[in-house]
Amino acid sequence: MRTRSAVTGSFALFAFVAGVAGAAAQGTPKPVTLLNVSYDPTRELYEDYNKQFAAYWKAKTGQEVTIRQSHGGSGKQARSVIDGLQADVVTLALAYDIDQIAEKGGLLPADWQSRLPNNSSPYTSTIVLLVRKGNPKGIKDWGDLAKPGVSVITPNPKTSGGARWNYLAAWAWALRQPGGNEASAKAIVGKLYKNVPVLDAGARGSTTTFVERGIGDVLIAWENEALLAIRELGPGKFEVVAPSLSILAEPPVAVVDKVAGKHGTKAVAQAYLEYLYTPEGQEIAARHFYRPRLAAVAAKYEAQFPKVSLVTVDDVFGGWKKAHATHFADGALFDQIYQPGR
Amino acid sequence: MSAVRHWVSGIVVAVGSVAVVPQIVAQQEGAADSTTSLEARVNELDQQVRILQRLRELAADSVAAAAKDKVSATAGPKDGFSIKSADGKYALRLKGLVQTDGRFFLSDSAVPVTNTFFIRRARPILEATVGKYLEFRLQPDFGQGATVLFDAYSDVKVAPAFAVRIGKFKPAVDLERSQSAGDIVFAERALATNLAPNRDIGLQLSGDISTGAFTWQAGIFNGVPDLGNGDGDVSDAKDFAGRVFFQPFKAGTLAGLGFGVAGTAGLERGTTAAPALASYRTPGQQTFFRYSSSTTTPASNVFANGQRSRLAPQAYFYSGSLGLHGEFIQSWQAVTRTATTVTLKHKAWQTTASYFLTGEKNSFRSAAPKKPFDPKAGTFGAVELAARYSELTIDDATFPTFANPATTPSKAKAWAVGVNWYLARAIKVVVDYEHTTFTGGIASGDREPESFVATRVQYSF
Repeated sequence: MRTRSAVTGSFALFAFVAGVAGAAAQGTPKPVTLLNVSYDPTRELYEDYNKQFAAYWKAKTGQEVTIRQSHGGSGKQARSVIDGLQADVVTLALAYDIDQIAEKGGLLPADWQSRLPNNSSPYTSTIVLLVRKGNPKGIKDWGDLAKPGVSVITPNPKTSGGARWNYLAAWAWALRQPGGNEASAKAIVGKLYKNVPVLDAGARGSTTTFVERGIGDVLIAWENEALLAIRELGPGKFEVVAPSLSILAEPPVAVVDKVAGKHGTKAVAQAYLEYLYTPEGQEIAARHFYRPRLAAVAAKYEAQFPKVSLVTVDDVFGGWKKAHATHFADGALFDQIYQPGR
Repeated sequence: MSAVRHWVSGIVVAVGSVAVVPQIVAQQEGAADSTTSLEARVNELDQQVRILQRLRELAADSVAAAAKDKVSATAGPKDGFSIKSADGKYALRLKGLVQTDGRFFLSDSAVPVTNTFFIRRARPILEATVGKYLEFRLQPDFGQGATVLFDAYSDVKVAPAFAVRIGKFKPAVDLERSQSAGDIVFAERALATNLAPNRDIGLQLSGDISTGAFTWQAGIFNGVPDLGNGDGDVSDAKDFAGRVFFQPFKAGTLAGLGFGVAGTAGLERGTTAAPALASYRTPGQQTFFRYSSSTTTPASNVFANGQRSRLAPQAYFYSGSLGLHGEFIQSWQAVTRTATTVTLKHKAWQTTASYFLTGEKNSFRSAAPKKPFDPKAGTFGAVELAARYSELTIDDATFPTFANPATTPSKAKAWAVGVNWYLARAIKVVVDYEHTTFTGGIASGDREPESFVATRVQYSF
């Protein structure tokens, strides 16, 4: 009698424990991995951001999320995604590159940019000039980069999104000069590119060329990249020169629907990008010298950003599609301006 | 006077100094300009050197990045024609085997066999590697005017110690059968191969521990009769086949020693119309043993009806140019004729020796000649001598109920000698002589011995 009760009780206890374990196992979501395909200079940003987001997501949902990163020139990255790189999200340098993923790859809808606030750009940046300490060549503005004897470092607009911002910023400045028109802008930008001895594939490569390899007199750089270079690689060795006019760069972000759908990561991918807009996400961006969108965070970090008069791609160039066709398509203005060896 | 002289001297010195100082200053300024100019020149050269170094660095990165995406296409005797992705994870290999043979039977008056040239094997072989773990192989054969599927399987290689194979392939039983048709020493396999399956369809797990020191295979198959190449099953029962093989010595005199044992176990249920039993062939590929069957009284046909098992201890040894391999196979097969069922035990064994006169290293795979055939260079390939002995003994209980002693021998013994000439890895010429004698097989006495010369020109890639 006692033995039967003990056996029955043991079975009941075992069934209870198994049931609880089973329920718990069912309730705990499986770990998930995301691939964030990003442009070149965002390595440090996403290293910090990913840790923060993973902790936030785990606390919120109990799910472990691992984010893998891929970095490179924005245009090259976009082509890789179109060719099959399994990106759950893309965080690229310009909207045109994500438009290409939508149009040529069919991996996300054409109206992707309206799915997140601020045209899917959680932060902005601009283009500045980084010079060596003491500014030995007296660089003050874009026109100085076109002078003989000035060596300019900038990446290749064919592969780098940052390089396209650089080019358009210089072009926009040239248009604003007295008597400025397309012909004079082409001449000035042409002289600028004649002064470029090394054309890296991406913005980070150009930073390496200028800062670590000691090549060139001036680096045309993402503002965040220039400020980071000063803080991390050359305190006291470099100076930022804010040109009189620059361009408002709005690096966008998007979920790659087809890939995230296939991986079952749509929800966490969406949350990953939405977190960029939260105060915590905006703080991380600001700490890495990206201009935050949230007014409160922007006010807090205002002092670290130089005052620059900004124009937009839409205002000056009629949007990215037109800018690409006019300047960066095969045989377009950049190919006419930059002919290596000539 | 002296005071005036001092005054004049002082005035001269002063005037002289005033005249000289600008020159000195000019010289110093000139030197400074030269230094500045030199510094600027040095800086300029330094920048040019840095630029060149950086351009070289970027070019190397570009080449490395391009190499990652580069697909390679190769052609050669070892892997045939292949296309491979840069990371090696995807590959397609087209190989082939063609054997143009001759058979010339001597003293065949009682059992005449036509001397003939024929295509013994013509096999296009397609292999593919898909991703990190998956491989495929497809091998049909168009030799002798027939189209037969030999291999069609996929391998999932999770790790060296664990792989899964599904499809149609050789069950791991017979040592000589496990040698590919292009690598066998003689034109035809020995008598012992009669008692093992040829190809079967199933699933096999396998593993390789410590790079061949211990290998194992264990599989479940439809089950085919001895020498069978099956594309389906005749009954619901399945066969199990397994093998363990050891090559324990990595170095030293015994490094080429391998030994193991294989076996199969299963049930085979044939019928009088489809007996599911084997006929056995001589090395000359002539049938010498059949179970009793009749077209006029099919109800009395012998058929498989119960347990079928095999046990096959086997070994090889390779040392320098010398190669030895041997095996013993015993098979048990329950058979029925009308109301009588017995389990018949047949057994066979073979031993083969080969030696490269030209010094090539002997192994289980064909050797590539050290000096391929090139008359202009005075090189003639590799030459291998071979000798073999084999026997197959039919269970005495087979006769007379299950096989007719007046037409079916109870034993066959064969010896063979041969010469193999490897012109290149892809080209081999074979000339064998084999002599087989029989015990019984005619109404009074022994079946006429079989003697033949086999020739082969083989192309494989």
